Amino acid sequence: MKDSGAVRPHEAMTSGARARFAGAVLTNEFGLVLLILLFGMLFALGTRGFASPFNLFTLGRIMAINIMIGYSMMVVIVTGGLDLSVGAIGVCAAMFFGWLSQRLGLPLVVTIPGALAMGAALGAVNGQLIVRSGLHSFIITLATMSVFFGFMEFVTRAQAFRGLPPAILAVGRMRYFGYVSPLLLVSAGVGLGLSALYRLTPLGREMLAAGANPAAAELSGVRVKRVIVQCHMLAGALAGIAALMAIARTGAAIPSMAGDLGQDWLLPAFLGPVLGGALLSGGRVSVLGAFLGSALVSELTNGLLQFRVGEFWVQTYLGLLLMAAVLIDLARRKLVARLGVAP
Amino acid sequence: MKTPKFMRADWFGPFAIVVVASVGITIFDRPFLSPFNIQILLLATAVNVVVAMSQMIIIAIGQMNLAIGAIGGLAAVCFAGLMQVWSFPPALAAVAALAIGAAAGLANGAIIARTGVSAFIVTLASLSIFKGADLGITRAQPFYGIPASVKAFGNATMFGPIPWLALPAALVIAFMWRLLYRQRIGRYILAVGGNASAAELSGVSIAQTTLWAHGLSGFLAALAGVMLVGRLQIGQPSIGDDWLILSFAAPVIGGAVLAGGHVSVFGTLFGVIIVAIITQALVIFQIDPYFVQVVLGLLILWTVGVNRLRELRLAGG
Repeated sequence: MKDSGAVRPHEAMTSGARARFAGAVLTNEFGLVLLILLFGMLFALGTRGFASPFNLFTLGRIMAINIMIGYSMMVVIVTGGLDLSVGAIGVCAAMFFGWLSQRLGLPLVVTIPGALAMGAALGAVNGQLIVRSGLHSFIITLATMSVFFGFMEFVTRAQAFRGLPPAILAVGRMRYFGYVSPLLLVSAGVGLGLSALYRLTPLGREMLAAGANPAAAELSGVRVKRVIVQCHMLAGALAGIAALMAIARTGAAIPSMAGDLGQDWLLPAFLGPVLGGALLSGGRVSVLGAFLGSALVSELTNGLLQFRVGEFWVQTYLGLLLMAAVLIDLARRKLVARLGVAP
Repeated sequence: MKTPKFMRADWFGPFAIVVVASVGITIFDRPFLSPFNIQILLLATAVNVVVAMSQMIIIAIGQMNLAIGAIGGLAAVCFAGLMQVWSFPPALAAVAALAIGAAAGLANGAIIARTGVSAFIVTLASLSIFKGADLGITRAQPFYGIPASVKAFGNATMFGPIPWLALPAALVIAFMWRLLYRQRIGRYILAVGGNASAAELSGVSIAQTTLWAHGLSGFLAALAGVMLVGRLQIGQPSIGDDWLILSFAAPVIGGAVLAGGHVSVFGTLFGVIIVAIITQALVIFQIDPYFVQVVLGLLILWTVGVNRLRELRLAGG
């Protein structure tokens, strides 16, 4: 065609609109919502138990915990680092909470902030070790995972606290409208708070800047080391919230609640943010994406168990899901780059 | 005065610690160097050194493999299951288990090399896949029908206190040393770990080298799993669950640089022995066994800190 270079005005408009539409459809969050609805319908039609109010209630509780664990990892991924000790910190916070409430008999207004402070303090240890040594957070948090967990077992003699205040157990049993757990509302609320942090506050912008390009951030006046320590403290506190939710769900503070060394939290911790489109190299984050990613994972786990397709294989399916998500994300980004639309 | 060459080698520091610790503990506790105790130390070391080598080869290329425990566990239950359920002869079952391990490692390597997704995420996902397969095959129940010959290999000794399990471990050490210092693929692995773009510009295929390293890592993890079946006398699905910390601790104590390009086979060996001695010392001096985790973690922090200081001093002049 001879005039292919010249684009007439109305053509430019429609192609612009189409690009915007493609951009919206190709976002991660949209894809996740679609998947959540799709699998929700599949499970609701395919099994009798999935859509029952009780199942939705228990699913919501687990979802809430997984989302919070995902947030905890997400706020560290922002800096381009990671935190393998997330589970160990969570268990330490849970046991500290149990000790404060059962042994010392302190009220919840003291013990809940106490547990969060414990998480933040352990996070601060991680952060300080990382910025002072200049080593990668992988090896530091691998070591502190062993130290924190071993110390917790040493102090508690691996004994659970079961005489916890009834109020926190009541929160775990409470339902709104027959199927919404208040824990899910806590996760949504914390998510809004984190969104506000990254979008509206200077500290959140500094965290993103420090992750995207530490050297440039430093030159622009961001105190990168202090910001990284703050990110790890935030991660510790969020792990503490997740641990308190787990206590509300099970009714006890148990040393093995996150598996050996807290390793059982690692997969949910990474699944949510990675499915949600966080960059492991840091600097980009989607709180909504992490929320939806963790929600999808919890829904799939529950649905697969309802289908009773090899209960023991669930971990394999989750691993395949993570692998597929990463590969699809890669393909999506290539497609977005080829179409030339902003994601 | 210049320090002799051997004293500056990576393995010398850990070796000195092993000697000092052995002498120190023997002073307090005579039976520490008894044949029986040495046999226990060697048994613990034999399996753990293979685990550590499995991670070391991946550290050499500048990556990490979170899945070695899951691959080892999967290979172990396949080994035990093939013998019990399909009554495979032990040798054939062992070959099949090692092949499964190598294939699992190759799958990791292929995905990392093809897509460029970080090894951390790929092996986190495959950790979950292999662990799920392990639990799915066994339904979380151990296989008990292990032939007597396998049990004997896992627990018998040859000359006095030396267990038969030390033989495959020694072969692995010799093989790794030859691979890394005498063979082309080993040099390629270190070159890619040291500086991937420089290696590529010199004609080294990063994809193929990654594939090799991960295949070997999977093979070694499977070997450690098979050895553990012999030692524990059952095909336990939880084999490999506790390998992660140790697999990083030993190479790091041995002077490995986590960014890649620099590892020490004998340093890693002495790293494993140090961990074994510490575990035993805690038992001998009746210190809480829960403390092992704390000590292991602190040991990693201490050695990476010291290595980092050494690095900075070398860079400074």
